[in-house]
Amino acid sequence: MSALAEALHRFDPPWIEVGKIYRRICFLRSEGLRDEAQRIEDGEFAEAAARARDATASGEEADSLLRSLKAEEGERVAEAVAFAEVLVPMLAAKLPHAAAAPSHAPAPERRKPKAAARDARGIADFIDDMLEQDRSAQR
Amino acid sequence: MTTATLEKQSPAAGPSSLSSAPRPSPAKSPLLLIGLDLGTNKSCLMAGPPGSTDITVSKVVPSVVGYVKDGIVDGIITGNARILFGEEALSQMLHVELATPLAEGVIAHPEAARDFLLHIRQLADPTGHAEIRAVVGVPANAGEGAREAIRRSAVGIFSRILLIPEPFLAALGYRDDSRVRQPDYVDPVVNSLFIDIGGGTSDLCLVQGYFPTRDDQISIPFAGDSVDELLIGELNRTYPNNGMSRITLREIKEAHAYVGPSRKPLDVKVVIGGKGRTLELGDVIGNACNTLIDKIYPALTTLIASASSDSVVTLLQNIIITGGGSQIRGIDTVLQKRLADDGYENPKVRLAGRDYQRYVAIGALKAARAARENQWQVLLG
Repeated sequence: MSALAEALHRFDPPWIEVGKIYRRICFLRSEGLRDEAQRIEDGEFAEAAARARDATASGEEADSLLRSLKAEEGERVAEAVAFAEVLVPMLAAKLPHAAAAPSHAPAPERRKPKAAARDARGIADFIDDMLEQDRSAQR
Repeated sequence: MTTATLEKQSPAAGPSSLSSAPRPSPAKSPLLLIGLDLGTNKSCLMAGPPGSTDITVSKVVPSVVGYVKDGIVDGIITGNARILFGEEALSQMLHVELATPLAEGVIAHPEAARDFLLHIRQLADPTGHAEIRAVVGVPANAGEGAREAIRRSAVGIFSRILLIPEPFLAALGYRDDSRVRQPDYVDPVVNSLFIDIGGGTSDLCLVQGYFPTRDDQISIPFAGDSVDELLIGELNRTYPNNGMSRITLREIKEAHAYVGPSRKPLDVKVVIGGKGRTLELGDVIGNACNTLIDKIYPALTTLIASASSDSVVTLLQNIIITGGGSQIRGIDTVLQKRLADDGYENPKVRLAGRDYQRYVAIGALKAARAARENQWQVLLG
């Protein structure tokens, strides 16, 4: 059963939202994007948790649900990241072209048009440049 | 609605546990690629399967959603639909609440944006069975907030997404791939300057054979809608209580817009209060459109100044205007003359041509077909 399907069975919709947001926060932290994670935790997450708390019979129950969700989502993300860390190198070995990791690519240099013409770079190379710029901007 | 999204490079065959989005299984669902120019006033959709050059859908749709008002008699709206889109929504404006998903190039009405993207999906894949990956154009220098708003709206609608600045996509779309290797062909991706004038923003971009950096792009929140605002102001001063709707005004602008010296008399027939009248709008339209030139020109010269000295002469030969603003009469010649008058070496400003509404989407579909598996961003729901 998928994480979403499982959650649908166990939690009411407001808490499912809380879980989704917390999962995103965990992912961001795993990526080292702590500021962005904190921003979401202070804003979107806090608002969703307050809504879920309002929809829950008692504060005690709400606290319990929140603890449970946080623990489960944290564990789920950690497992997913660990799984990806094992799987990606395996896939990279089998599919070297498709799994080329752009995160390890050198930062794009500003190139003169003539050099670019000689290189005849493909669209995918441009996209790599763009993604690298996006990552640099986030760091 | 709160949705969880995450911009993350997907592994080559992303483990399903990384995403809780109910994505169709690739083994069961055909993959369909979309190139989408999500515009403030008009959006363009191009769709096709991967691994080919076939285009299965090519549509320009007004970016508007109409929510049918309560109490409308059965049968007034075809199929008693509750939500209408594009031309259909505009044609039923008496019976719907119109919502525009975007303002100034970014999502301003998330619910309408989501409904509009669902409509786009329906247009691209009427069966609803395909896994859809979309390359979506964003204004040059769009911030993370604007990008995240698009991703949120697309969760559960597209399985994967890539957001790419519109002027670069316009260059890709404008490029004639069949001629790239011909010696006499000037490849716009190698050395050009694109000016994409849309409804919400005017985007300028140096395209010089590498992906444009933030310094190579300038986005100005002054474009077709801003010209509309100026026109309304001028018109109300010249013809108070004219009662003209924004849509009528936009039609007049699209039919008569020009820049450069005054083209008086420019007589336009309109119906005001049920009576036919002829208004002289030469100065009204000219003043509003010339303001656009005044806004764009400094950005244009800024980008030219940033080009390397050994590329700038060729660059000046390849200044290309696209988007709805390219339909303003004289915009190419006025910009070219202004550059020449300011001493720039033999500048040449061209219009992209009849497919001006489609180049961004064409470029987006090309990018979708070329994107590597690990470049797509998985939308987490």
